[in-house]
Amino acid sequence: MIHAKLGDDYFLQQIVATFTGTVHSVFKHALNIRSDGKDEIFTLATKAMDRAPNTLVIDLDTLDHLGIQQHDRVSVRHNELLIEEKLKIAIPKASRWQCQLPIYPANCTRLKMNMIRVKQFIDLHGKGGGIKRNDSPVSEFEAETSRLLQQRTTLLYEEILNQRLDRFQAYAADLVGLGPGLTPSGDDFLVGLFAIIHLQNSPCSMYKPLCESVIKVIQPLTNEISFTTLKKAAYGQVRESICSFIHAILYGTEVESIEALRKVLAIGSSSGTDIALGLISGLEANIKLGG
Amino acid sequence: MSIKVVIKRNTYFDSVSLMSLSTKANQIEGVEQAIIGMGTEMNKGVIRNVGLMTPEVEEATAGDLMIIVKTANADQTESAYLAVEELLINKDKAQAKSDIKYATIDSAAQGIPDANFAVISVNGAFAVREARKALENDLHVMLFSDNVSVEDEVELKTLAHEKGLLMMGPDCGTAIIGNTGLCFANAVRKGNIGIVAASGTGSQEVSVRIHDFGGGITQLIGTGGRDLSKEVGGMMMLDGMKALEADEATKVIVLVSKPPEASVEKKVLAQIKECSKPVVVYFIGGNEEAVVAAGGQFAKTSKEAALKAVLLAGIDEAGINKRALNIPLVEEVRAKLAPEQKYIRGLFCGGTLCDESMYLAMEKLDNIYSNIQKNPDFLLKDINVSQEHTFIDFGDDDFTNGKPHPMIDPSSRIERFLQEAKDPTVGVIVMDFVLGFGSHEDPVGVMLPAIIEAKKFAEKEGRHLEIIGYVLGTDLDTPNIDEQVEKLVDAGVTHASSSTNAGLLAREMVLKGENHE
Amino acid sequence: MSKINELFTSKINVINVGIELFKDDILAQNASATHLEWSPPGGGKPEIIAALNKIDKAELAEKIEAANRLAVEKIVNSQPVLIGFDQAINVVPGMTKKTILHAGPPITWEDMNGPMKGAVMGALVFEGLAKDLEEAAKVAASGDITFSPCHEHNAVGSMAGVTSASMFMHIVENKTYGNIAYTNLSEQMAKILRMGANDDSVVERLIWMRDVLGPILRDAMKLNKDGIDLRLMLAQALHMGDECHNRNNAGTSLLIQALTPYILETDYPVEQKRAVFDFVASSDYFSGPTWMACCKCALDAAHGIEYSTVVTTMARNGVEFGVRISGMPGNTWFTGPAQKVIGPMFAGYKPEDSGLDIGDSAITETYGIGGFAMATAPAIVALVGGTVDEAIGYSRKMKEITTTENQNITIPLLNFMGIPTGIDIRKVIQSGILPIINTAIAHKEAGIGMIGAGITNPPMEAFEKALITISEKWA
Repeated sequence: MIHAKLGDDYFLQQIVATFTGTVHSVFKHALNIRSDGKDEIFTLATKAMDRAPNTLVIDLDTLDHLGIQQHDRVSVRHNELLIEEKLKIAIPKASRWQCQLPIYPANCTRLKMNMIRVKQFIDLHGKGGGIKRNDSPVSEFEAETSRLLQQRTTLLYEEILNQRLDRFQAYAADLVGLGPGLTPSGDDFLVGLFAIIHLQNSPCSMYKPLCESVIKVIQPLTNEISFTTLKKAAYGQVRESICSFIHAILYGTEVESIEALRKVLAIGSSSGTDIALGLISGLEANIKLGG
Repeated sequence: MSIKVVIKRNTYFDSVSLMSLSTKANQIEGVEQAIIGMGTEMNKGVIRNVGLMTPEVEEATAGDLMIIVKTANADQTESAYLAVEELLINKDKAQAKSDIKYATIDSAAQGIPDANFAVISVNGAFAVREARKALENDLHVMLFSDNVSVEDEVELKTLAHEKGLLMMGPDCGTAIIGNTGLCFANAVRKGNIGIVAASGTGSQEVSVRIHDFGGGITQLIGTGGRDLSKEVGGMMMLDGMKALEADEATKVIVLVSKPPEASVEKKVLAQIKECSKPVVVYFIGGNEEAVVAAGGQFAKTSKEAALKAVLLAGIDEAGINKRALNIPLVEEVRAKLAPEQKYIRGLFCGGTLCDESMYLAMEKLDNIYSNIQKNPDFLLKDINVSQEHTFIDFGDDDFTNGKPHPMIDPSSRIERFLQEAKDPTVGVIVMDFVLGFGSHEDPVGVMLPAIIEAKKFAEKEGRHLEIIGYVLGTDLDTPNIDEQVEKLVDAGVTHASSSTNAGLLAREMVLKGENHE
Repeated sequence: MSKINELFTSKINVINVGIELFKDDILAQNASATHLEWSPPGGGKPEIIAALNKIDKAELAEKIEAANRLAVEKIVNSQPVLIGFDQAINVVPGMTKKTILHAGPPITWEDMNGPMKGAVMGALVFEGLAKDLEEAAKVAASGDITFSPCHEHNAVGSMAGVTSASMFMHIVENKTYGNIAYTNLSEQMAKILRMGANDDSVVERLIWMRDVLGPILRDAMKLNKDGIDLRLMLAQALHMGDECHNRNNAGTSLLIQALTPYILETDYPVEQKRAVFDFVASSDYFSGPTWMACCKCALDAAHGIEYSTVVTTMARNGVEFGVRISGMPGNTWFTGPAQKVIGPMFAGYKPEDSGLDIGDSAITETYGIGGFAMATAPAIVALVGGTVDEAIGYSRKMKEITTTENQNITIPLLNFMGIPTGIDIRKVIQSGILPIINTAIAHKEAGIGMIGAGITNPPMEAFEKALITISEKWA
């Protein structure tokens, strides 16, 4: 018997006797479940992972060797989440978590200072290949992807700077599904950007409703895992490391910002870097818009 | 041109695997281009743009994994695809392998085919054997351990030279290879300046100054302190220079060392003459004329070395903050010191930092004692008791015997500091604080209570105690330099902006009368 | 492009030996690093490191590599086949009526430990060389009896290994290389001669084994012209969850299954045949000695290859642990003190009751099964005080000190990895990893028997002595 350590509030609400689903995909540190009926993706994550929307962190170091496969049945019985006979997770002890984005400060002097270091750090330690251009792309495909990402993230950024609303949805949708990785770089960038749009008092919060309308048109453009993450971000729900980083860059010291940034950069392969650049893009827009 | 496309329905690999598979797939022999990615509309658009669209790709959906392999000749396609497929299958194996623990370099090198480097820091008595094993397995070596005989060093370096490998050390504490800092190193910008150094803290100092002046580093190759001795003959420095000369990214080369033995200096100078790239030479206390005659750029101080390097590297001089010495401050301190407060006491973790301050002091002051003095007349009689001007390297064997290096455990000099602070003949205490990989997480913090106590004590006795602190580090280090400096300044310590300035400030503050600058 | 310049443009992937902090710093910078579980070679003794360095010199190292390749090739290619059973006096080379073979390296009567003395006394009574145990002790001390290691007679003996003239032996022939290996029959049970017990019940069982069991097995195998392919059967047994040293459930089933038709065909009375089957069914250990002879047969073929550092024998006499290596032909033993065996004990016994490690059964680990194949026998990991993960870890770890994998005999749980084969003394000393041995625990006093089971290691000293000797002889 394995215990769930902590879970996202919404997920814990869903885990009742009527919950059923199938295993969608299995990785070393994460296992995705597609719920029946609602077609939503939920994630079981090992201790190595941070808290995130729709995610339950369980007391295991690895999901290897459990023999869990795609399409295995998932059900709930007596407060236990079951995956066939292979994994049994006790829910009651799980502590609850919900993403709380910080408030955007009235005075952004600290943000401006932290921003310089953070950008330098990403420049130095961020992973290329996605939004961050690789010095030497391994293929024409990668080069072309980089070019398109560059072009389209710039268009979206300028749209926000000009405070225009008409093209936002189209430009955002143009990024979805673009780029390497399980969560394509374009998606990751949007996750970062959406998070900033959802900060309370964010100068660019006028785009909030547009995030939600973007979600309605993009489902076929990306895979279910990435879509779920994007959808949550469109409602202001992102994983803990992103939350912490935003808090640190707005209110923390440079050292704290870099520490928190390291954790974001560690997400996936290039995903963390792409998310971080989405965050930076949103924050830069905020600085400019906020005067 | 020939293309093979395979679409795997509803197949998900995590991003880390996908990216590394993609990189590896593009390195397979015969492959002109390989794409492994999710079949999203956007990615398909990119594929169309690069002219690889096929009907199969057209049909892929966002949840499908696409594998596209392009080769020049049709007969290579199938085998290239199989090799890519192999990567996908072996992914699981590779993951399982990560759990395996290795006990020997042989087994690790066999089990990790991508391994290309060994960092060895075991006791010197065993280090030679491990280093040899590493070289035999075609691994570049950084040998942190000391207490290795010179014969063994020559043997290892000869083997490495024959195999075309790096043999950094023994007693090599600092290197930056491919932007990865090894052992004691600082987080510095990537750039176009390459360093070869026989001195650990010396090279840290130069790299940090280069970063501060807006420049950046390609590689920092450590050679170990004995490389430029007659016996070793500068093998690693000469090979390192050659490698940097051949390295496209490197535009300027900086050499850092104590002065080489005469025959070795000849060899190094001859190679500088041949070198197609500008070479800045910082041989602490070395001979300017010979370097200049060989076409090298001589630097007297670490700061000058860094400045010359960044200018040669194309950084605009106008934009550099050269951090000039604060002369008014010097005057102010002189006025505060009582006549009997004549002496400097330097308490250092970094050997080269100690050396640099000491050499600067020796230019204008007499009777300078140290535990690392070359001149036996000025070696401290008792390393625990200071004499007149005293400069102590706490990293020297005298103090480390069995204890961790003061950069890891800086607390070792606290007691000595308090002892010096109580000495009424002391005017200035100068100390270094080294940040970066390998170092203590808060070197200023551990010293702070002692500093505050000392200041109070001196005040009570009615004298001014001048403490100069130099923090070796960058804004990218953890903890970062600003945070550490802030702590020092808050405690009333005079912050020196470089190792060179720390030495100059200390010297100038205790100078009296006609020697004033 | 030079290798150094190649390094500049590739991703750094570090093997870190020593201070672990350096690995963490490298990982924090997004580069790859693996930390070695390093310990000083030879425990850090300068003379051992000097000896290692001596035999590492290129020319000699190449000779050793080639010799070791040949040695493991012989171990892997050996095909041991059980061809019959007969009394020791009829088949074992050098056997006489007054010879007692024992486990481990050579030892005198005076030096033997409790269990071995007990077994010798019991054997003398059994052979009629003494009328009772009291007299047996005098006979043993009289100088009339020749004591000699089983290993020096192409034989092995489990626990005390005491083997006397009229005992029945397995006869195992190496179909690839022609050599033959012997070992006596399992006595089943716990209170038995090989564990040092020697009362009437023990001697009576030995007599029954001599008069009934032995002849039936002998005559049964006479009817089996092809013999029984032990390597094949061993591979099957491993796939069925045995490691064939401490767990022999599957192997015993397979072996008796192969013997049964021929036993039935013999002319002995049904009651006697029935008694044989009951005896076999009384303990899973019946095939234990069989696998020992199988391993001995393969390893003897690899013994005596000049310059080979592969271990061909690990054996203990209860006082000393002895190692032989291929490159030192004949009976050159390298010894160190026998170690304690750590593991669960039968109810009522305490660790201080244990005799030290004893027996030739470590021949199974020398071959690559037993402790080396722990991953095949998850059922008994509790017996050796561990978890399944630890069991898997043991098999992987043994790869560090062996030369190759034997693809004829595989471990399903480790992706059908072949058993780790060809212990190389150089690797043992360099890595500080000792071979792991599964074994039984005998009571330290004569006359009591088996009181538990567990795991143990050889003393490093034996390997060090071997290393020093070859470094002086070969370098």
